[in-house]
Amino acid sequence: MKNILLFGFVIIFAQVLVTETFGQKQKPKPRTSVKKTPPKATATVLNLPKVTQIDEAALKNLLKRDGEMSKPLLINFWATWCDPCREEFPELVKIDADYKGKIDFITISLDDSAEINREVPKFLVNMKAEMPAYLLKTDNEEAAIASVTKDWQGGLPFTVLLNEKGEVVYIRQGKIKPEIVRGEIDKTLPIEAAKQIQNTKAN
Amino acid sequence: MKRKNILFVALFVLIAFVSFAKMSRANDDFAVGKTLDNFTLPDINGKKQSFNDLKGKNGAVVIFLSAQCPVVKGYNGRINKIAESYKAKGINFIGINSNSTESLAWVKSHAEENYKFPMLVDKGNVLADQLGANVTPEAFYFNEKNVLMYHGAIDNDRSGKNVTESYLTVAFDSALNGKTIAKTSANAFGCSIKRKE
Repeated sequence: MKNILLFGFVIIFAQVLVTETFGQKQKPKPRTSVKKTPPKATATVLNLPKVTQIDEAALKNLLKRDGEMSKPLLINFWATWCDPCREEFPELVKIDADYKGKIDFITISLDDSAEINREVPKFLVNMKAEMPAYLLKTDNEEAAIASVTKDWQGGLPFTVLLNEKGEVVYIRQGKIKPEIVRGEIDKTLPIEAAKQIQNTKAN
Repeated sequence: MKRKNILFVALFVLIAFVSFAKMSRANDDFAVGKTLDNFTLPDINGKKQSFNDLKGKNGAVVIFLSAQCPVVKGYNGRINKIAESYKAKGINFIGINSNSTESLAWVKSHAEENYKFPMLVDKGNVLADQLGANVTPEAFYFNEKNVLMYHGAIDNDRSGKNVTESYLTVAFDSALNGKTIAKTSANAFGCSIKRKE
């Protein structure tokens, strides 16, 4: 009897220890490996893409998800003056192409609003970026940052993934690791949809 | 039976300990009100410098900077002006570069060209991790007893054209006048500190 009890305790304790030690901090692994494909050169854009200026209230609206009918939302905050933002952009464009229709993906520039018809769309067209593009202009950066997540100090680039309920499920301050972002997106999708993406890529 | 009770207690203590360890880890950033232990880092000439030796009689600002970040570039004029006027009031600036992507030669020439205060090199982002610094520019103002008084942005406009709230200098003035600092932290957009991989 004693032995059984002791064995039970050891098992429970080991489980608690493992969960506490590895459950919180371990970086999520992508569920399946995803082959890299070059960006799809679909658009022959003659005009510069539209970049919509938003304020803090509009940002809050963009962050809202309605539940069942909504898709997960990936947002990349960036600026043309931010080198790592520019460096990671081709990977974001690939992610957009691979998950089109499965998730919503928008980019929000923190450039000076004077760049809304200049450097920002110029960069986006060079990248062949098709994600809806916004430029945030606010007098209260602190409130805008806090409205996204309390875990963001304002460093760029910043990538955040919200599930269909609008809950933040993944954040990354600094350059993304594409395979980790893809893994996190897959986790927010129904299994069939994630598999479908893997199959499409395998063929 | 006694043995069973002891086992139960032991299990409870272990679970409580593990849960506590998790809770204390959840809030691992350096909070306002916390006291900084003295630290030593090499400056841009390789000479070891200690925080306690560099601070002024009324404290110091540990400010995370970058040689390439355009936001830092936009703030350099303001940083130098503030550093100069508050040095006279006993608050010294200490620049820190924790970016793994910026070479020592680059950090050195940039610091020599731009700042009159010392620049320390935080290789392996040890200090940035300790303080929870993520952005450049990001300031940590410690009083003469090394207690963190304010943390975050310098002011509310990185362009410098429409500054309406000078967070950092308001914090200095409040502390120097023995008043409570109304706003002890503020986030703003900036460059991410490039930590080692």
